[in-house]
Parts: sequence; C-alpha cells; structure tokens
Amino acid sequence: MFRNRVFVNSPRGRRGLFPAVFCAAVAMAILAAVIPFWALSDRPSPAKVTEDLPAGAMQAKATTACLECHEARIILQQRLSKAAWTKEVDKMVKWGAVVDANDHDALIDYLSTNFGPDQPAYEAPRTAADRNTSEKSAAKPAN
Amino acid sequence: MSSRRKFLKQLSGAALAAAAAPAILTWALPLPQRQSVEVPGEDGMILRSFRFVDLETPVEYFNSWLTPVPHFFVRNHMHEPSELNADDWRLTIGGEVENPVTLKLAELSKLETHAVVNTLECAGNGRSLQRPQVPGIQWGKGAVSTARFSGPRLRDVLQRAAVKSSGKHVMFRGLDEVPGKVPPFIRSIPIEKALDSDTLLATHMNGAALTQHHGFPARALVPGWIGAASCKWLTEIKVLENEFVGNFMSPAYRFPNQPVKPGDAVKPEDTHPLTALNVKSVISGPADGASVKAGNVNVHGAAWAGEADVVKVEVSTDGGSTWTAANLSHERARYAWRLWSYEWKAQGGNYAILSRATDSQGRTQPAVPAWNPSGYLYNAVDQVKVHVS
Repeated sequence: MFRNRVFVNSPRGRRGLFPAVFCAAVAMAILAAVIPFWALSDRPSPAKVTEDLPAGAMQAKATTACLECHEARIILQQRLSKAAWTKEVDKMVKWGAVVDANDHDALIDYLSTNFGPDQPAYEAPRTAADRNTSEKSAAKPAN
Repeated sequence: MSSRRKFLKQLSGAALAAAAAPAILTWALPLPQRQSVEVPGEDGMILRSFRFVDLETPVEYFNSWLTPVPHFFVRNHMHEPSELNADDWRLTIGGEVENPVTLKLAELSKLETHAVVNTLECAGNGRSLQRPQVPGIQWGKGAVSTARFSGPRLRDVLQRAAVKSSGKHVMFRGLDEVPGKVPPFIRSIPIEKALDSDTLLATHMNGAALTQHHGFPARALVPGWIGAASCKWLTEIKVLENEFVGNFMSPAYRFPNQPVKPGDAVKPEDTHPLTALNVKSVISGPADGASVKAGNVNVHGAAWAGEADVVKVEVSTDGGSTWTAANLSHERARYAWRLWSYEWKAQGGNYAILSRATDSQGRTQPAVPAWNPSGYLYNAVDQVKVHVS
C-alpha cells in the first residue's frame, strides 16, 4: 500500500525523458496555434529537464565522462579557477569518471574556460508552480 | 502496465498539463519569471540540479513558520532509491550493541511518537556568496526550511538494542543509489546526540508521511545540526567505537579550526567535523532589487541558530550605521527559526537594508563571512538593495 516508485533519478531517466519532452514540444506547438499570444506572454515556458554542456572540442568527451552520474547543471553553476577545476576533475576520476589521460588537460581547459570565476552567474530555472501550494502559502500573512 | 510505460504516461500527462497550465490554471498566480521544469510534488523551487535532485527554497517563501513540503528544500548527494517498497523496507540496528535489531516499518510505526519542529539547513547554504567561489552546489540563501518532524526517538530504538559501553558513535546509512565509484553517503554522530530525547527516526513531516524526496519511509532527524547529519531513506544504524571513517566525514563536512585567508588551502588535521548550525538571519522581503513606494514598508524574514535560541534580530536601513530591533513572531520552538518583521518608514531613495541576528550563546552574524574551502556555514549579515519611489 505504500508502494512508492520514483524514477526521476533512475539511470534510464535521460533516455526515458525523450518521448515525454517530444510530447511536451508537440503539445506546446498545438497550444501555441490555438491560444492567443497575449495569453502566454510573461508566463514561464518549459525549460529543459536536464541541461547540455556547451559546445567545444571537449563537449562530447565531457558529456560521456561527467553526465553519466549527474546532469550538466552541476557543472554549469560552478565558477572555479583552473587549479580548482583540476582538483575537481581528479576527484571525479578517482570516483569513476572515465577520462583518457590524453584528454585530461583539455578537459580542464574546457571547464575552466567555460566556467571560470569571471563568467556571469548561472540562472537556475524554477520548478513549475503547484496551484494548491501557492494559494495556501500566499494566503498566510507575511508574519 | 510496465513501470517504464507507466512512467512515460505519467510524464507525458505532466508535460501536457505543464503546457496547458499557463492558459488554464495559473492565470492569477505569482509565477516564477524564468523557464520552469515540472517536478511532481514541488512548487516553484529553484532547480539547482535535476539529476540528482537539488532544490532550493526561494526566500520569498520564508513567510510561514512551518514550510509546506512542496516548498521545503531538497538536498541529495546521490540518486534517490529508484524503487522503494515500504513492505520490504527494513531498518537494522547493529554494531556495538548487545541485541541487534531489525525493524519493519509497521514495527517502527508502533513505537511511541515524538514531534520536533526543526529548522533544517544544508551546511553549504549560501555557498554561492563566498569569494573566491568554491566548488559544490551553488546554493543561494534558501537551502533551509522548517517542518514539524515526527517519529520514534532514536534513543528508544538504541535502548532496545542495548548499546555496549564501547559504543561512542552512531552511523547512519541510507538507500541512496551510488553512481560509479563515488563513496557512499554514510556519516556518524556522537552517541550523546544520538541519545538526546529530540533526536528522531522521523517518518512524518508536517503530519504527513515523508515524501520520496525527503527520505521515505524514515530518516534520521538530528535537530539543530547541519542537514547532512539527518540521513534520508535510512536502512542501517550501526553503533561504532569511533567516528565513521569515510568521505562524508572527512574531508567533506569539516570546518577549519582557525580563521582562513580567503582562497588558502587548509590541512585536514586543522579541521573539525561540522555539527550544530550557527546564527543566521535572512531577509525574505522586500526582495533584493525591489522597487517599493514611500511610506510604511514591512521588512521581514527568518532567523535561526541551530541548538541555540535567537534572542535578537536587528535591521539597518542605512547600510549598517544604525540598527533597530525587529519584532520576533510568537511562534517558536527550541530548534526552529523565528520569523521577524520591522515596520520601516521609507522615504524616496536607494537603500541597502541589512539584518543581523544574535543568539543565546552570544553569537552575532559577522559583517564578513568566515571563508572556508568548501563554503560551509555562510552566515554574514544579510542584505537586500531596495529602491523607494
């Protein structure tokens, strides 16, 4: 009776999400055709469930090495020096990330170029609003 | 229907609902401004990571003493148990005990229940505000929430197992799924805290069974301490002679013994494990960068101090030159935050509004945070910038 299945973290999650994302895209296209533009303006649009790493020579190899265990946002939000990225990559290799020795330095360059201390902060998306929770919470006085 | 098909069907339904929501459901709601991602059971949370799930509570939600579960921050170090059947779940208590015990959920549920209102905060809350920046989830100010947790006392279960005199630490292991060769999320707490009458095996949160994100069917609840002490999806309790040895006891979740120059490295032997939270206040409104009208402006927020009591919250509207005491709300409990408010008679101009809490141990929020290599326990005086027109 308490059976509790949760799949959002399953290793199959990324593959499993494609049809759903496709369905969402189709649904959005249909709705966009039938709903006036003003009705959707200033409303949140669906963000990617999981993000991608930025383009670059190491994009594919970084995707294989890092995103096996976690999604790209974990990387996208970091703002680290090259020395700090080196420590992170070496820790992750110890923890099972597969990085060819020949790619090690290029991977660190890729990460520190894209996610260095001077880059603007990553803007995280929100989870979608839940009407019941929002209304209940808004009904309470601020203090 | 297979689990996978069922999942896809649910997800497609959720995606359709999300797509239709702007037009049908959410007309008058204060929706987030940016793009959103559907995460069932969660409402308007800041998505730090989807896989694994890390969700931050926006500070504007710090408007109720108890945080509704869909607004309660989520911190996962690993993947959540992909399939967890309550009927098959077992909790074992072993190690330095006379009588090892195995409990089913139904047996755990029969034990006397105790409730504790606790403000749970991730040790890394505020990490994104550290300079230089440090690696880890880049939490803003909202990896903190408050709930009424309930369940049996850990002490009662340990007494049933009869802890030997050699038992000095209590280790928790959860059912998180560990990817690659990542060390498992296992930590321990000293026996004194484990035997405290407020340390729980929590099965409920705000009166409802724990949700998957919050550790269903049972989690440790170590009140007043960093969130990492309160292991989720608990399945094993082991009494040890010494502190558990593993990544999440060292080098993770340790704090320098001495102040550190920002950016400097710290040797492991110069650190200690994090335990209780420090003193902190956060301004939940007006929002940072807000424009408000001149006149009475309600400045409000929350303040907490781990195992200590908040005794004072002060607000400054002149960048810290002068401070005035805020009103503390009447709702209080030993380990819970206090909501506070201050009526500000605002005149036109640009302002930095500051808040500063002081606790019963005499600790006060510092003007400058204590930088450390992992960005733990950020608690500098809070600040929002406001334009008054």
